[in-house]
Amino acid sequence: MKRIAVVGAGLAAVSTCDALRTQGYDGELVLFSAEEGLPYDRPPLSKDVLLGKARREDVLLRPADWYEQRGVELWPGAAVTAIHPEQGTVELAGGSAVGAERIVLATGGTPRALPVPGGDDPSVHLLRTWEESERLRERLLPGARVVVVGAGLIGAETAAVAVALGCRVTLVDPVAVPLTAAVGPEIAEVLHRRHAEEGIEVVTGGVERIERAEGSEEVSVHISGRPVPLAADTVVVGIGIRPGTALAEAAGLTVDNGVVVDAAQRTSHPHVFAVGDVARQDGHRRHEHWEAAQQDGEAAAAGLLGKPMPQRPAQWFWSDRHGSRLEAVGSMADAGRTVLRGVPGGGPCTVFGLRGDRLVAAAAIDRVRDIKAARRLIDRGVAVDAARLADETTDLRTLLRG
Amino acid sequence: MSTTSTGIRVAAEGDIPEGEALAVPAGVTGHTDAIAVFNDEGTYYALDDTCSHGQASLAEGWVEGGEVECPLHSARFCLRTGKPQCMPATDAVRSHRVEVRDGEIFVHPGQEAA
Repeated sequence: MKRIAVVGAGLAAVSTCDALRTQGYDGELVLFSAEEGLPYDRPPLSKDVLLGKARREDVLLRPADWYEQRGVELWPGAAVTAIHPEQGTVELAGGSAVGAERIVLATGGTPRALPVPGGDDPSVHLLRTWEESERLRERLLPGARVVVVGAGLIGAETAAVAVALGCRVTLVDPVAVPLTAAVGPEIAEVLHRRHAEEGIEVVTGGVERIERAEGSEEVSVHISGRPVPLAADTVVVGIGIRPGTALAEAAGLTVDNGVVVDAAQRTSHPHVFAVGDVARQDGHRRHEHWEAAQQDGEAAAAGLLGKPMPQRPAQWFWSDRHGSRLEAVGSMADAGRTVLRGVPGGGPCTVFGLRGDRLVAAAAIDRVRDIKAARRLIDRGVAVDAARLADETTDLRTLLRG
Repeated sequence: MSTTSTGIRVAAEGDIPEGEALAVPAGVTGHTDAIAVFNDEGTYYALDDTCSHGQASLAEGWVEGGEVECPLHSARFCLRTGKPQCMPATDAVRSHRVEVRDGEIFVHPGQEAA
């Protein structure tokens, strides 16, 4: 292969480049970034960047000199408008074409807009890019009335940051206890209750419309079942993303809630791979987690180079809110029953999800090491004794020894 | 605790349980970073405590199989060399020579272990 083109510049893209070099690829490698500047890491955008604690240089995925050292040609501000795998080219805005024998789609996704009247009001912010985070940060002033729509990871983190910055925050979600499916009811309830404890007004309901009186600085956010709308200076919407599948669709690749790939991240066209949020492995759910994006890159590199696939550990994610750290591993949906270690709401706590005598999932608040132990118990398929999991005097490391 | 070519005494054997680590503050060692001293199945290793990727303390990490896994983003480092074993870390952390004498653990800051 003479040249591989990577389209996109998030973690999955950079991970692909890194892994290709680590695995011995010595051809040309071009990274097309639609955004300006050096590629950056997204998790801090709803945490330290929003808090004003991290600058752009603090959140770069790799330092500036890494690209030259690794032989990665970065094209910032180069939006790819079409891919032509048969001809072996990618097309850029302006019409120029660049040759590439293999193409890796790492196009991520775009946040879903609020599909209601007024959902596109200038007061409504989405959060995915550095610029969006910067713009939102300027609005999170002490006393500002902020309505956050969606209490998933991004919404919860943003609400936590806003209240820490002195905003008057309302968090709106149609689900009474969000994240239950991902972390189990015990942890989800503690997490959700914490918002109110930290001074956030929590509203269960759906946004029906957003109205702005002519010339007004504020908007009225109408919620289902509530006669009086919420007055807001700023609205933040965190209700998920749409995978950025446009290039894949136009190229005729198989797309179904993401670009469909095999275990090697190969799409329906043998010369095109897809990684990160945009990709969905056939037979699985599409995942949008940070570590998964990184591992996709490693798998794609192996697939491109015909090397053995790296082992994939149980899926893991984290979220920071109100000074606490949520972590979860595995798939809580697969659990037949749960076991608690610690008291939910009484500080650090872990819930384990079991299927038979095997651990399939765990979620924890401020218990990083429990999750690390759980992940190994899941990956190694160790039979576990529920009573010992629940017993806080048990060193979980000893369970790994069987 | 005293410095010199004999190293800095950081703990007695048994003070650091198996699979755990002790972070020795920079003020104690005179080194630029705190130094994490790990016990991996009875063998002691010392690395700069701060992960080369984020701002986490490696002493809080998971120690197993000659590696430590960072508590924040799961980068793994070789305990002997400090070299990263997987992403997201790409830079090594510094390693320091460790010596066990008469049941006491000594670290030699700045002297590479490997």
